[in-house]
Amino acid sequence: MSTDSTADDGDARERLIDLAAQFYDQFEHGDVPTMSIPTRTKSNIVFDDEKGVWVYGDRNSTRSAKTVSGAQKLLKAIYTIDFLAQQLEENRSSTLRELYYLSESFEQQEAQFNSQDESNQLIEDLEIVSDVRREEFHMRPEESGATVMGPLKIREQTRRGEREIHCQEDVGEGGYQIPNDPDTIEFLENDADFVLCVETGGMRDRLVENGFDEEYNAIIVHLKGQPARATRRLTKRLHDELGLPVTVFTDGDPWSYRIYGSVAYGSIKSAHLSEYLATPEAQYIGIQPEDIVEYDLPTDPLGDSDINALESELEDPRFQTDYWNEQIELQLDIGKKAEQQSLASRGLDFVTDTYLPDRLDAMGII
Amino acid sequence: MTSFQSTLAEGEGIAEELAESQRSISIAEFFEKNRQMLGFDSGARGLVTAVKEGVDNALDASEEAGILPDIYVEIQEAGDYYRLIIEDNGPGITKEQIPKIFGKLLYGSRFHKREQNRGQQGIGISAAVLYSQLTSGKPAKITSRTQRGTDAKYFELTIDTDSNEPEIEGEDTTSWDRPHGTRIELEMEGNMRARQQLHDYIKHTAVVNPHARIELREPSEHMKYERVTDQLPAETEEIRPHPHGVELGTLQKMLDATDSYSVSGFVQEEFTRVGGKTADSIIDNFRDRHFGREMAWNAPREHEDGDVAAAVEDAVANKGSEATSEFAGAVADAVDERELVAHHQLVEVVASFAETVGEKHDTTFGDTVQENAVEAAWTEITLERTADVYSLVDGATTDRKDDAHVQGLAERVAAKFENRDDDPRDRMTRTELEEYVDKSADDTEEYDDATFGEKARGKVVDALWDRMRTVPDEVPKISAIAEDRDMASELHDAMRATDIIAPPTGCLSPITDDLVLEGLKKEFDADFYSSTTRDASVHGGDPFIVEAGIAYGGDMEEGGKSEVMRFANRVPLVYQRGACAITDVVKDINWRNYKLDQPGGRGIPNGPAVIMVHVASTNVPFTSESKDAVANVPEIEDEIERAIRDSARDLKSYLKKRRSMEKRRRKQDKLATILPAMADKLEGVTGKGELNIDDTLARIMNNVLVEREYGEDSVQLTVENNDSTNAQLEVTDIVTEDPGEVDGANVVEMDGEWFVKWSPTVKAGEEATIEYAVNGEATFDIQVEGIEDEKLTVDA
Repeated sequence: MSTDSTADDGDARERLIDLAAQFYDQFEHGDVPTMSIPTRTKSNIVFDDEKGVWVYGDRNSTRSAKTVSGAQKLLKAIYTIDFLAQQLEENRSSTLRELYYLSESFEQQEAQFNSQDESNQLIEDLEIVSDVRREEFHMRPEESGATVMGPLKIREQTRRGEREIHCQEDVGEGGYQIPNDPDTIEFLENDADFVLCVETGGMRDRLVENGFDEEYNAIIVHLKGQPARATRRLTKRLHDELGLPVTVFTDGDPWSYRIYGSVAYGSIKSAHLSEYLATPEAQYIGIQPEDIVEYDLPTDPLGDSDINALESELEDPRFQTDYWNEQIELQLDIGKKAEQQSLASRGLDFVTDTYLPDRLDAMGII
Repeated sequence: MTSFQSTLAEGEGIAEELAESQRSISIAEFFEKNRQMLGFDSGARGLVTAVKEGVDNALDASEEAGILPDIYVEIQEAGDYYRLIIEDNGPGITKEQIPKIFGKLLYGSRFHKREQNRGQQGIGISAAVLYSQLTSGKPAKITSRTQRGTDAKYFELTIDTDSNEPEIEGEDTTSWDRPHGTRIELEMEGNMRARQQLHDYIKHTAVVNPHARIELREPSEHMKYERVTDQLPAETEEIRPHPHGVELGTLQKMLDATDSYSVSGFVQEEFTRVGGKTADSIIDNFRDRHFGREMAWNAPREHEDGDVAAAVEDAVANKGSEATSEFAGAVADAVDERELVAHHQLVEVVASFAETVGEKHDTTFGDTVQENAVEAAWTEITLERTADVYSLVDGATTDRKDDAHVQGLAERVAAKFENRDDDPRDRMTRTELEEYVDKSADDTEEYDDATFGEKARGKVVDALWDRMRTVPDEVPKISAIAEDRDMASELHDAMRATDIIAPPTGCLSPITDDLVLEGLKKEFDADFYSSTTRDASVHGGDPFIVEAGIAYGGDMEEGGKSEVMRFANRVPLVYQRGACAITDVVKDINWRNYKLDQPGGRGIPNGPAVIMVHVASTNVPFTSESKDAVANVPEIEDEIERAIRDSARDLKSYLKKRRSMEKRRRKQDKLATILPAMADKLEGVTGKGELNIDDTLARIMNNVLVEREYGEDSVQLTVENNDSTNAQLEVTDIVTEDPGEVDGANVVEMDGEWFVKWSPTVKAGEEATIEYAVNGEATFDIQVEGIEDEKLTVDA
């Protein structure tokens, strides 16, 4: 168990029941049951100076039984609370997807979920109002499959006992797979200089094949696209507990900047957990729009959705820095985007021999 | 003339008008040839038409006698024929009246009565009699008892098809169970294929005649429509025709028949809304058309060539120089003073000075002298026609017209006045003037390369015509006009052109909106009714009133189109729906605005609705002879539309409310499953006791909640108003034990039960309570009125 877990299992269950009791009391007083949660949109996140992360602002949305759809949401919430309370009592766990399918068995049709997005969102709602993390509800996401490769030795609490694993020596080329709750990991020893988070599998494999982790003492974390909570949590712990600088290496397009954003600043959807998941000190390596120009990389033109995304990032409070402003404006100007692997146009070793060393040097990491 | 039908409506028309041109054929032949026109084109239709004529006749007869109609219609199969029996409880008829009513085909008063009556609708029961006679060979059997008659009389009637005269064959005394009334029995060829139309006709008749009791028995069905009001339709007064409402043919007949000698007398005597002043306007308009107007020219100015005084002096001989000179001077001064002078005005001036100057100098300026003087003066006055015409043309055309072109046109028009050798008075009708201007404009275009469009020409004609003066000539006598179709037409035009106030509308008898509502309620079991009676309007010379009613929902059929019921003068129109202005208006209205389904936004709306429209007029314009469809007269269409929209607005607010209530009900139903499920789960999760969700539900629904709480030996009734408006309730709690005096409520004992009546007014967001003492044995039965069910939650 990690040190900053907000609640143990018993506590988590109690908080859920407390929440149910609130609804109970509302009914008993003849009031309309309501649940108020922060509005989870771009316009309602604020920078918390103290914690250095983006958290939700003051605006709240109310789920109220006043409307049929509100009442349905609350009914689903109450059914879910009931399910989670039972699960915790029996010390079992389930995946988000299982919860969605499980709702099909509710005899009350109104309580069934219409889509997995809906059940996922409800779990997030419950996390926020009960101040209990999903992991403590014993709710897992589907396996994200994100991995770590690098000079790090850890101890993991598995259901089959403790395992000690060195993330270079004890693993295959695929690396060490991050568990759903990385707080079950203990860092034993490491020989690392920095953490390198990589967006795509292809690039991650290239770095491993070229022995970049060994040569530069880098812990290579594969983000696998938009990183799962566990991946972000582990990254944060690597930074906070081992004092390692964190860098993020992605494609050069607006979607990839959001990947960096969620590692560094926290995502809009889970801003209530930013303090727990975000690594504000994480630095962006590239591909930067300026790299596209400098290395004359093979590119694709920006599509309409890319342009919209870039413009929306210009207004995203998380990207309000001179650096990002400059880069995004430049990209809009050149109208091009490039993938990480476009660096291969200069040879397979270019990325490990030239690009990364140059960038890391410039950033003062090596 | 809008249609041939109008003439039919105008007068007794059909027979005489047509037979006149077909003198050689018999009435039977005439009937055969005009079956369709008379509504007897098929056996199916013939039966419906005969019923229609008979029922209309019966209703009129009863109403005219101030009797609430009780009509019985029976159709029996009689071998190869059908036997039609129609009975009424009218005043009954005497032998002398029989031919007038049942006989002579298309018998009518001398002119069509300017009165709203059903008769205007059909061509009369006599056509049915003739149809029956022609198809079955049987006479019409008539039984009648007058109000004072001790016995009923029985007659058999046939029509001599050569002379169009009725003949009474059998005559007998008989017994009849009706105290008074008339029964007619006709046998005719026919079939019941038009059963639906027949039923519609009877049902619709019942709708618009809520004061009548109508019964129909036919071979396979029997239907009764009871009376719902004892109020007879207002009696209609007959009015004389309005000058704007007569057709030329009618006018000619009126001219033939009038006792008046002069036009003035004729128009004042025979028409409504015509007094002396209006008669003068009509006569002036008639003069303009019959005689034409005379151009008034500018008198010669000093710098101009014309010298009236000198010319007149020259023209007068042998009257003494002093007298001649004074005469000439006076004429010249008078002309000069008038500035504008027309020929007849000059004649007047000359005649008046001829007399005064003649008397003074004891001489006589005779006719010849006057004529010479007029001719001489007129020549001077008309020397400069072009200048006058120029200023008129210039004023009438735009500034952009080339001056030379204006001058060219003016010269040519002036020349037209000048070159009328046969008539030196510069007199012409407007038609002639138009021709001259047209010709002159054409020439100017051809030779001067100018352009004068239709509009410019029209303006020039207007300017010139305005300058011209109506002449004082004596108008022809009525006898002369009656003989001359052209003159009659001129008079007709003149009447149309004269501004005359609209005809009086007291001659109309609308059903009235209350009775339209009653009629709809009587025949349609609906959830909603509305009705409208518009104020009277006028089309042509005939006043009319449009009424509309809508019934919606209830037992009416959900799917398919709404029903449109059309009426003219209280008579249902069952055929030619597609050709009727009423149908057109209904189709053109965007019913989606009124919350009815209307595929494509046009056409008859869908849904369980009945839309009825009644047009009442002294002369309903029909599209055709069979009088099944109202013609598309814009004034009438506008009124139909307004009437329907009036009623439809009520429908809209009803449907809106109903839909919002439905939505509310759906919401409440949904919440009524969700909230208990929530409560159930919450009880399980928290392990706490049972929850009551009624208060929460009432609050969510903004409902008014009536709740009972039991104390020891007492109960409390509380009204909690969660709505945003005041709630005024009538709460009645029926208690099986004596609650004693209750503060704030009345208690009435009835058969061992106590009715606690409480009428609280509870403001938005507030509550009110009463309390009363009862022992534990008491049971309660509560009723709450004054609020829609959807907005009420009773938990007591």
